[in-house]
Amino acid sequence: MGTDSIVWVDEVDPATAVAVAGSKMGRLTELHRVGVQVPQGFAVTVEAYRRHCADSGLDGRIEQVLAGLGATPAEAEVEQASAAIRDLFTATAMSASLEAEIVVAYDELSLRCLEVNPPTAVRSSATGEDAADASFAGIFDTYLGISGPQRVLDAVRACWGSLFTGRALAYRLRKGISHHDMPIAVGVIELIHARSSGVAFSVHPVTGKPDRIVIETSWGWGEAIVQGLVDPDHVEVGKADNRILKYDVAHKKMVSAFDFAEGRVTEIAMPERLADRQVLDEEQVTAIAEAVKAIEVHYGYPVDVEWVISRHRRAGDPICIVQTRPVTVTSTDAAPAAYDPVALAQKYIFSGKPIPGR
Amino acid sequence: MPNVVPVEPYTGEWYPGYRPEFFDFPYVVDAPSPFKAGDENAFWFLDFHWSRGLTPLAATLWSADGYCHGTQSASESLPLPPGRGVTCRFAGTHLYGSPIPEDDPREIGARAQRLGTNLPHFLQNYDTIWSAGRDELEATWDHFQGLDVTQTKAEEFPALLRQARRYHKRAMEIHFAVMYPMLVNFLGFYGSCAEMGIDTSQVGKFLQGEDTKIMELDRELYGLAIKARQAGLSQVFADHEPGQLRQALSAHGGSASQWLTDFDDWLQVWGYRTDATCDVGVPSWIEDNSNAFGNIKTFLLRDTDHDFDAASRNALAERDAAIDAARSGLTREEQAVFDGGLAANRAANFPWWQDDHNYYIDLKVMLPLRHACQELAGRVGADDRNDMLYLFWPELLGVAGGKPYTGELKSLVADRRQYFDHWHGMRAEMPKVLGSIPESVEDPVLIEIFGINPGSLKAVQNPDAAEQTTLAGVAAAKGQAIGVARVLQSSDELHRVAPGEILVCESTSPNWTPAFGKIGGAVCDGGGMLSHAAIVGREYGVPTVTAVGIATLAIKDGDTVEVDGTAGRVTILKRAADLVVE
Repeated sequence: MGTDSIVWVDEVDPATAVAVAGSKMGRLTELHRVGVQVPQGFAVTVEAYRRHCADSGLDGRIEQVLAGLGATPAEAEVEQASAAIRDLFTATAMSASLEAEIVVAYDELSLRCLEVNPPTAVRSSATGEDAADASFAGIFDTYLGISGPQRVLDAVRACWGSLFTGRALAYRLRKGISHHDMPIAVGVIELIHARSSGVAFSVHPVTGKPDRIVIETSWGWGEAIVQGLVDPDHVEVGKADNRILKYDVAHKKMVSAFDFAEGRVTEIAMPERLADRQVLDEEQVTAIAEAVKAIEVHYGYPVDVEWVISRHRRAGDPICIVQTRPVTVTSTDAAPAAYDPVALAQKYIFSGKPIPGR
Repeated sequence: MPNVVPVEPYTGEWYPGYRPEFFDFPYVVDAPSPFKAGDENAFWFLDFHWSRGLTPLAATLWSADGYCHGTQSASESLPLPPGRGVTCRFAGTHLYGSPIPEDDPREIGARAQRLGTNLPHFLQNYDTIWSAGRDELEATWDHFQGLDVTQTKAEEFPALLRQARRYHKRAMEIHFAVMYPMLVNFLGFYGSCAEMGIDTSQVGKFLQGEDTKIMELDRELYGLAIKARQAGLSQVFADHEPGQLRQALSAHGGSASQWLTDFDDWLQVWGYRTDATCDVGVPSWIEDNSNAFGNIKTFLLRDTDHDFDAASRNALAERDAAIDAARSGLTREEQAVFDGGLAANRAANFPWWQDDHNYYIDLKVMLPLRHACQELAGRVGADDRNDMLYLFWPELLGVAGGKPYTGELKSLVADRRQYFDHWHGMRAEMPKVLGSIPESVEDPVLIEIFGINPGSLKAVQNPDAAEQTTLAGVAAAKGQAIGVARVLQSSDELHRVAPGEILVCESTSPNWTPAFGKIGGAVCDGGGMLSHAAIVGREYGVPTVTAVGIATLAIKDGDTVEVDGTAGRVTILKRAADLVVE
């Protein structure tokens, strides 16, 4: 039941998913096909964005602002242009037909979740984003906890506008890329009621060693972790046997929690008695490790994922994956398969470099 | 620009009558000598092994056959790619060592290739290589034990001296040919553990707890102390200095006579050891009983017996727990690497060898030459049986060959004794480093055995070293202890240490081991994680900090100090001088 404006994560053809729904949403579709549990949701497509910009006259007005910038604008000028363009997106209404399509899709989400006004994550899903160089990772907006059709519509337009943040503008100017070459889609995804969330890497993110999975986690939603606001629990897992090799419980000072009065996820101080409590048990760690391994096998290269454990999850249920990307770290050298005193001597004793840990 | 400590003050006259040709021995890369102009371009460290100073014979033979033959030939044959062994110089009677760098990149590459062939071969055949070397040395030792030098014909005496010297030289070949590859294997394992995130302070523990010949000797010595207590002789020991004990026990009679018989039997088995490393100038325990008596005397002062078995069980339990803890944090793939490294290092256990080999090599290989020299002294009418130790090798061969030991030579020996005593008294003031001081060194022997690291190099260059009250070093053996410091120049003074006191010295070697059964803590100027003090400190559970650089300068005898062997920190809590004022 997709249209060229709306596609559902579980229905769109995986072959075209990234092209029509952007990389973030397209990857969710791929994950769904792999058999990994992903949240329910739909994307407002790249085509819908294009049509909106063209039909509403936004394209011309954006060009006007950009034309005033010159070849090497100052940072303040870029910020000014960014603010102006984002104001244009806020001020420019969608066509009635697109609004209607989004509202119908949100209704469908409500039915699928069996929840009235289900809170959603409205996420930018740009076509250039999360590309191999990951230069745009995290540069576009995400709104957590958006509930009700009107708020969803507003959030979609805000996400469109985030294609023109100061950082994104400056980057494209520097690289000489046109914004037309990287149109944006917007995902509207069921917001999982997170008991805990986190990130997981299918290889060690620092050393690149392929035999261990690293998980970082805290209570509530993952924003506080992704934005680096909280020092998360750090878990390392053996990839071959899912054995927990290391579990460092952190003192978690902040948490991303749902504020029901405001209707969104906000960052607040962690309740004291949760701050030092270990977040994950062994069963949960295993479930995360299994999901990460399945995703890595599917893609054939190391990945990092964002995952959520719903407060309704029971032991044995799969873990919900909300994002995945290729890992940007590359292993400096392959892990040795066996003890090799000669190689180690060359590496540590005769390299002129101090032995680590000295 | 590196800081340069001038060698010039030590480049003048050396031992009276010294001539450069007295050092005219074959060498591999660099020959030993007294300090000479130009030496300030290299880095020299005061070698803690010979804190008494060295007599002319001891100085020339150790430096030529030990350092400049032993280390240099072993580092050529293994080889050690970036270094060509150690060379040495003398400031007065005191020996300074210096690593010889190899800096030609092509040569380093070629040596690395050679290592790739030789190291696996060594590790696969370690058992055979070491036991063959050890057996060869033991056979030569037995040969000398079977000799009655009083019966050696005069014309055969130069040959006897040459044979005795060759025994030491061969021992040094074997010593370094085994030590270098074992050390390389250990450090490779160490680096691999560090890479896998294992706390490197645990790595020594993975290999601890194996019984060594030196530990066996210490247990036997302790057994004699228990016998003395059971025989009711504790008071006799308490009332007399070590040097008077034989006489006192003889006079005591009764149970003391039986004990003395047991003691002498024990000496026949265990007494052929010196309290020194390859120093022909130092007597064995059987020649001079003082140190054996001194050790027994201190054992008897302890309130509680040292339980060797319990300590050994604890060391093994601690080892197994450390291994389990380390393995549990590794992936399966890493466990395979760890297990391989552990197995290779258990098969060729460097920390174990570091203690065990001393029994076969360092503590006794100079004794045959010493005995021959003493016999010769008697024959040529020397006033003192150790006079020959103050000759240089060509002079010694001359006397053995019939040159009269009279007039000029005799008075030279008297002058040289004075020279030796003068420099012996200077030891505490000797600079710890000379020449061009680097910020760090690369040679694994210097780092792990001598404890020369950026921290200690900085500490020894501090002009206010003597006034420091907080000292940092290598956290060699965990735990904390507070006690009165005893600052010793050599193990000859060990009897001054009361139970629970803190041993402070340049460094320890196996002759210091019995002290670890009684001391509260240990602090050393030198010594890395693999030094004697570190290994024995861990075995005995004695908090130990090594590589402090300036411990013997900053800590005064009688100061109250706190040793934190976990953090690698020493704090002087109260100066002995202040206590006197109070």
